[in-house]
Amino acid sequence: MSQLQETQQTWRSGFRLPAIILMAAFVLFAPAFVGSYSLHAVVIAMIFLLPALGLNLLVGYTGLLSLAQGAFFGVGAYASALLSIHFNTPFYINVVSAGLISGALALPLGIPALRLRATSFVMCTLGFIVIGQAISKNWISLTRGDMGLSSVPKPYFALGPWSFSVVSTAAYYYLALAVASLAILAFYLIVRSPAGRNMIAIRENETLAEAVGIPTWTYKLIVFVLSAVFAGVGGSLYVHYLTVVSPLTFQMYYTTTILIIVLGGGVGTISGVVFGSILFVALSEVLRVAPEIRMIAYGICLLLIVFKFPKGFAPVIDKVWLALGGQRA
Amino acid sequence: MLNLLGEQLLNGIVTGSVYAIVAVGMTMTFGVLRVINFAHGEYFMVGTFASWFVIEKIDLGYPQSVVFAVALTALLAIVVGYFLMRKMVGAPFENGVLATLGVSLILQNLAVALFGGSYKFFNGGYIEPVELFGYGLAQQRILIVIVCVLVFIGLDLMVTYSRMGKSMRAVSQNIECCEIVGIDVQSVVLWTFVIGASLAGLSGVLTAPVNVSVYGGMGELITFKTLPIIIMGGLGNVRGTFIAAMILGIAESFVAGFIGLQFRDSVGFVTLSLMLMWRPHGLFSLQSRF
Repeated sequence: MSQLQETQQTWRSGFRLPAIILMAAFVLFAPAFVGSYSLHAVVIAMIFLLPALGLNLLVGYTGLLSLAQGAFFGVGAYASALLSIHFNTPFYINVVSAGLISGALALPLGIPALRLRATSFVMCTLGFIVIGQAISKNWISLTRGDMGLSSVPKPYFALGPWSFSVVSTAAYYYLALAVASLAILAFYLIVRSPAGRNMIAIRENETLAEAVGIPTWTYKLIVFVLSAVFAGVGGSLYVHYLTVVSPLTFQMYYTTTILIIVLGGGVGTISGVVFGSILFVALSEVLRVAPEIRMIAYGICLLLIVFKFPKGFAPVIDKVWLALGGQRA
Repeated sequence: MLNLLGEQLLNGIVTGSVYAIVAVGMTMTFGVLRVINFAHGEYFMVGTFASWFVIEKIDLGYPQSVVFAVALTALLAIVVGYFLMRKMVGAPFENGVLATLGVSLILQNLAVALFGGSYKFFNGGYIEPVELFGYGLAQQRILIVIVCVLVFIGLDLMVTYSRMGKSMRAVSQNIECCEIVGIDVQSVVLWTFVIGASLAGLSGVLTAPVNVSVYGGMGELITFKTLPIIIMGGLGNVRGTFIAAMILGIAESFVAGFIGLQFRDSVGFVTLSLMLMWRPHGLFSLQSRF
């Protein structure tokens, strides 16, 4: 055996595997020992994780700051609600359709928007939210305007002879966990693929990427559509959990939350966004004392992110992971 | 019909003047800082709230409240400008977006936290109507238009002839060369920002008697209307902003009068989105700089 192979084989594993097993156990059995309000907070955190992953793909991996996640979140929510109210479709159809409809909407919106330079692009995406809210308020025959759609049915699954409804918070926790895990897996696959490396190239230096032969515009459009799909799926989960949707879903609050999750958690990382989601959303749900204080805290968070912690949480997670890691014997 | 048209036109000019005063501040800030100030509407709100506070709680008259409101807005702008906006020079623009978004959240919710979330009634100003071209128009509205014209003439003169104005133009063109030549970029940036924010506060005070309702979230709507104006007018372009503001004011008035009041607030962003998709460089320039 060569010396290199020898070194690789004498490796004492650190605490990473036990830590992962512990976290997995905690995640899987959480409803057994976590209070119902905290469970609710974690469900909301997992729901917001989806548009956050989409934004992460845009900002963290392709370098496009977009404020439109809130718009596609709302579109997905309304689409899912309307489908289940009018056609009584099972959940998997709702959630997939919501994602597809959001993505399909993103295509004609993204094509002209992506031609713009950075500042105008941000404005244009902000416009999508405003227009989305205006449409949901005024297309009364479809959306019932400001009254919104209530009594959206809880998710139900119909597979042959079985059909069951997801009603309790604990059951919804597992549903959200499943969807969020699938989303994280999808995100991981996208980002680790050669396509993902191309996206990073576009983020780092778009001109150089173009010069090397990466079709930057096509990539940007695909990423824009994909992030809208993520956001739409998140919106669908959200509306079935809350059972109501209204033009308020298009408020700036949702976009701001998603921004803080991604930027505060660690833009461009996966674990950062997951932790950011739990931290910001779950904590803020638990601390739902006064909405104004929460928003002021958000504002202060944004300022801290800009001036003190531009990489968000990610460095802290990295340090912990490194500390848990193994050493060569 | 012609009567209605004329009335909507006059209303549109007044509305346009309100937006123009606010927008010119935002566009000047962008010109020197390259930052879209998402919190700009909040200075409008601060101006309105300050004058409401003076009239309701301290029991002074309207003119005194104008002075107080503009002074308070300027003070707030100095603080924010000194600690935050000056650091934006040369930073990537995402920082500016996020930082000003944060400031806007803090200001909005501070107002709600301090004064409560209910709509307040503004009780001052010169609201007796006066005859003009056969239409009855509140005196305050005429005052707004006059102030707008004065502000723009003053700004135009300042930017063209005064030392500060020339420094502003220089900073908006090339910051590195300014530092080489000896212009104090930090000071120019700070004062441009303060002037812009104070103008927004002035607009807030002047509009308050006409708007009548005062609430913490009013700034967000103003920001959402000013953003389309500055982009359509051309970022950094003062005269273009004036025209774009007038166009938006008149368009909003016509939409509200002839199509439906509920669509009024959407006119700005719908026009902006359409314009960005077909003519990204703004209405008045030939190439897209931003």
